[in-house]
Amino acid sequence: MNNLVIGQFVPGDGFLYKIDPRTKIMVTIGYVFFLVFAQNFATYLWSAAFLALALILTKQGLGLYWRGLKPILWLILFTVILQLAFSGGTPILFSFGPIKVTQPGLINAIYVVVRFVLIVLMSTILTITTPPTSIASAIESLLKPLKAVKVPVAELALMLSIALRFVPLLMGETDKIMKAQKSRGMSMSTGSLMKRAKAVVPLLVPLFVGALQRAFDLANAMEVRGFESAEGRTRYRELAYSRDDLWVLVASFVFLIVFIILLFV
Amino acid sequence: MTNAITIKNLTYSYPESGDLFKDFSMKVEEGEWLAIVGHNGSGKSTLAKLILGLLDFKEGDIHVFGTKLTEKTLTEVRSQIGMVFQNPDNQFVGATVADDVAFGLENRQMPSIEMPARIEQALKQVGMEDFADREPHTLSGGQKQRVALASVLALQPKVIILDEATAMLDPEGKQAVMSTLRELKEKHGSGLTLIMVTHDMEEAQEADRVAVIDDGELLYDEEPNALFQRGAELKKLGLAQPFAVEMSQALGVPAEETKNNIVELVNWLSQSKV
Repeated sequence: MNNLVIGQFVPGDGFLYKIDPRTKIMVTIGYVFFLVFAQNFATYLWSAAFLALALILTKQGLGLYWRGLKPILWLILFTVILQLAFSGGTPILFSFGPIKVTQPGLINAIYVVVRFVLIVLMSTILTITTPPTSIASAIESLLKPLKAVKVPVAELALMLSIALRFVPLLMGETDKIMKAQKSRGMSMSTGSLMKRAKAVVPLLVPLFVGALQRAFDLANAMEVRGFESAEGRTRYRELAYSRDDLWVLVASFVFLIVFIILLFV
Repeated sequence: MTNAITIKNLTYSYPESGDLFKDFSMKVEEGEWLAIVGHNGSGKSTLAKLILGLLDFKEGDIHVFGTKLTEKTLTEVRSQIGMVFQNPDNQFVGATVADDVAFGLENRQMPSIEMPARIEQALKQVGMEDFADREPHTLSGGQKQRVALASVLALQPKVIILDEATAMLDPEGKQAVMSTLRELKEKHGSGLTLIMVTHDMEEAQEADRVAVIDDGELLYDEEPNALFQRGAELKKLGLAQPFAVEMSQALGVPAEETKNNIVELVNWLSQSKV
């Protein structure tokens, strides 16, 4: 479970580490959004170039990103097969019985792979360069306008950051319980699907009980340290935009304008 | 000497299992180091939670520095008492050490610019200043408990309650926490009242006074040395004498010469002609 790179922060000192998390989140969302509209070779190439620049600016080895992509390789392969088999159109390149692989199908498949990889890599860049707490406070800051419609933004952000803080702890606990159950002769990886699903229950019950106990303890600890409401607290880490954020924004706009031009060429 | 905490005629019962404390009274003097000991289920941890208003009690009063604990004074009372809990993981709120120490300061609405200095000062007091940016899962249990202590110290309380704070630690972690406590006590003197809830008699002997609680009753309230002489009575309560004391008694060392610590005992033995 520990070699999962997506969603994991990896300390470093690249340029993107210094960028405000709000900027990174906005650019990532924008990038993923516009990538959906990419439909020709030039736009994909241009998007890949932008991603390559971001990759370089993280100053992390490519091996790290490869490990990030690995878990979703099967998903990519599956989509490729679907695209190849059911795209239709002409000319037909070759066929197996009723399934015909066509030229537009092949091109679509390649585009889908590229799009998938670009989206995953961009999100991985965001999480690799941004600690979970910063993501939580960035989300709080970005959602501030929702306070006007009575959304408890501060509470949600605090809940998010505490949830993130407990992820490694609960993963460790799952591992421990799993080993304890295995040592009592339980098997999670053999038997029918039904049997395996049933084997999860004795894993979940102690995990839930443990998590509730932790929640009660944490509530006490927070209360004793003067926690009353998530609203109106001051912040130890204040988010602040810098000149570097401006550069990122400028680069992103240049990317977007060229992207739109390439769409219509 | 003024009283830091006065408990008068306290009655508390668990929601399901009936009375725990009945007409319980006790005093904690300002600046003293008090150990509250008892076996599991004796009510010692419950007492700590009652003092902080984490549990509601039926009858009686708790005064903290003269302020009566009520719903209205809860915030004021809690601002004077800090508490370190048993499980190192379940009281770590922040994502990093510095964030965790900052949590209490944020609640008190301290301006952001004043925080770093206060955080550093608190971490220095427990010897964790080099770990400010570390995440909790990279720390040992003893280190986490020292961070918990720093989080409490940052709020500058007059009383710190440690509720079995070393129970889940390895011997090394225990030692580190205990020596941190000793340093703190030395530094703050009568400005800091320590209440240590524990079942470990080796720890209890560090205190100025030991209160033994059993089934919600205060059985003994005396200096550690006097208490440790009661070998048989303690055993009946499910408590052990410190090893050195038990050894001294087994060897027939006279009561007034009983040693609390192994090194002292060995020295004494090598010089005596018992």
